[in-house]
Amino acid sequence: MSGVAPALGAPPPSDAGGAGGAGGAGGEPRDPAHRARPATRLDRLRARRGWRTLLGSVVPVSWAVTLLLVPYVLLLAQSFWRLRDGVITHELTTENYRRLFGTPLYPATILYSAGVALRVTVISLALSYPLAYVLAFKVRRHRTLMYMAVIIPLWVSYLVRAYAWKIILGQDGILNGLLLSVGLIRAPLTVLLYSTAAVVVALTHIYTPFTLMPIYAVLDAIPVSLREASQDLYAGRWRTWLHVTLPLSLPGVVAGCTFAFVLSMGDFLAPQLLGGNDSALMVSNLVWSLFGVAFNWPLGAAVSVVMLALTLALLAVAGAVEARGRYGQVATGAVAEYAGPI
Amino acid sequence: MTDDADRSAGPLAGHDRPIVELRGLTKRFGAVVALDAISLAVRAGEFLTLLGASGSGKTTTLRLIAGFDVATAGQILMDGVDVAALPPFKRPVNTVFQQYALFPHMSVRDNVAYGLRMRRVRAADVTTRVADALDLVQLGALGDRAPRQLSGGQQQRVALARAIVNRPRVLLLDEPLGALDLKLRRAMQLELKRLQTQLGITFIYVTHDQEEALTMSDRIALMRNGRIEQLGSPTDLYDRPRSRYVADFIGETNLLRAVVAGTGAAPGLIRVEVAGGATLDVAMPHDAAWLARAGTETWVSIRPEAMTVCADGHPTGTPTPGGARPGGQVVLAGTVTAAVYAGSIVKVHVALAGDASVVAHHTPATAPTPAPGSAVRVMASADRAMLVGA
Repeated sequence: MSGVAPALGAPPPSDAGGAGGAGGAGGEPRDPAHRARPATRLDRLRARRGWRTLLGSVVPVSWAVTLLLVPYVLLLAQSFWRLRDGVITHELTTENYRRLFGTPLYPATILYSAGVALRVTVISLALSYPLAYVLAFKVRRHRTLMYMAVIIPLWVSYLVRAYAWKIILGQDGILNGLLLSVGLIRAPLTVLLYSTAAVVVALTHIYTPFTLMPIYAVLDAIPVSLREASQDLYAGRWRTWLHVTLPLSLPGVVAGCTFAFVLSMGDFLAPQLLGGNDSALMVSNLVWSLFGVAFNWPLGAAVSVVMLALTLALLAVAGAVEARGRYGQVATGAVAEYAGPI
Repeated sequence: MTDDADRSAGPLAGHDRPIVELRGLTKRFGAVVALDAISLAVRAGEFLTLLGASGSGKTTTLRLIAGFDVATAGQILMDGVDVAALPPFKRPVNTVFQQYALFPHMSVRDNVAYGLRMRRVRAADVTTRVADALDLVQLGALGDRAPRQLSGGQQQRVALARAIVNRPRVLLLDEPLGALDLKLRRAMQLELKRLQTQLGITFIYVTHDQEEALTMSDRIALMRNGRIEQLGSPTDLYDRPRSRYVADFIGETNLLRAVVAGTGAAPGLIRVEVAGGATLDVAMPHDAAWLARAGTETWVSIRPEAMTVCADGHPTGTPTPGGARPGGQVVLAGTVTAAVYAGSIVKVHVALAGDASVVAHHTPATAPTPAPGSAVRVMASADRAMLVGA
């Protein structure tokens, strides 16, 4: 290779490395008689591949920069700017953050949102784990069909699903009609809609598929022989689940719960449509009103940054838990390095 | 013969009641019959192999005994008690799985301790028994490792330790060496046999590898299409195959199409006419009298190593090539088509009359190897030329 390169006008080293890694080394002529011609062709190929690599990386990088990095930087910058008499001035201040943590409303809303998200997560998990278990282990026929039945609501517009709950829970809604006709109540209930419960129910409905999918995926990947081995070793179905199936499905549980929690905590429409009074508004609604109504962009940006930080922290923790519990990687971290040199 | 009988009876011979007995065991998956009313008595302490090609029903049989599948019909008796209705965790057997099925989220030690803990054995006893079991499979130092940190052979030993630590009376093994390379497999065969003898556990062993079955087993049940084709000691199956399928499945053999002509010149011999017109006196398996009727179309099986090749006109052999001699010698005339060197032997391919051909193992040290194209006589002792069922 070193003998060929100078004669060809020295291709850049990064190019050569790329070509070698992509299998170009296999086509490298060894026989001196064949050196000149195929090497030239190889060089052209390399140049073209270099272009392609450049072109291929320019698009995603510029996409990420303009659509992800720039907005986040702007958001972060915005949160340190000062609002003076309704005008945003570009002078740095920590006033927004001081106000955020100093006013009870903001931490309370964040906590309230987390509370709603927690309830949604717990209910989603309670609904989807048994369902995923049955789908993965008990259903033999029509398994794909049943799985699709669970997933299909995802294809329906979010807005339609949120409005559907308005129809079900409203004063003249389906649920009140049913209860009236059965005779359980005399007058339609007004507490059904426009309550925290309504928000939790709608969010649970919307985000349960997101918990189901990763749980189903990990359960489905557990070899049948592992559960058979457990039963062969005197564990009944319950203890097999406790000692084998559950630990092996934890990564999926963590992933699913993270989905449900993060998505519902940041949800905007369900509380808007079903939450009713201000007390049931969640943090996204707060951000929306800060940007849209109060025109206090710096404070809205500060709330957003705090939410982003919280979410990233949660994802980091979930990722760490998931990585530790992942299939067969138990004890491979520290123990592997420890046991290696022995 | 007596040797085989003793060996196949196992160390606990005289114990009348079989430790595991299958009666008319049948398993259907929809319209597919995986197991067709098989009956089998497993003796205490023996090493019994279920041998067969894929789809023969050997793994199904094992899974029914373990309790992972439910039989369509028939009984599974353990110590005389029908266990067909019991779930796997209530059966006194343990299984070594094909892909080991070690729990990936547990250390080697916890894997081995699993069964004991599930049976609520005292913690102190668990510790000592697990340590003993790991020592037994020479993995005493690796208890803290995760299964995925071990090689295939080591994982196989862990799977074995995890089963035998429970001191089962019957151990079920489903192709436990299938995933190992040949050299390791040979070593593990001997080790498994040693463990089985040392611990006195009854082994029911599933494999498709006939060599493995011959090496380790006290008895082999050769299965085909959901039935037991032949049950017997390795020498029974090798030397006295009942059918063409058994003769062909176990080791190498030469099969010659034959029609029964009548009784042979000596007791125990039977006269057949093989393709090409030659008449031979061959041995008849002791339990295959039904084959002896004149006119029955069947096969003669002669192992390559039972044959000797002589150049035509050589003083030894018979004066009438193609016939049988009262002394019990089968002689066939033919032409060498190829001589393939295979180390200690030369595989001599001989074309016979009537489109038949045989392969004989020739030992170059005893006589010069006949050249391709030369006319030869292939000879075998009549008691090693077996009449087998179609």
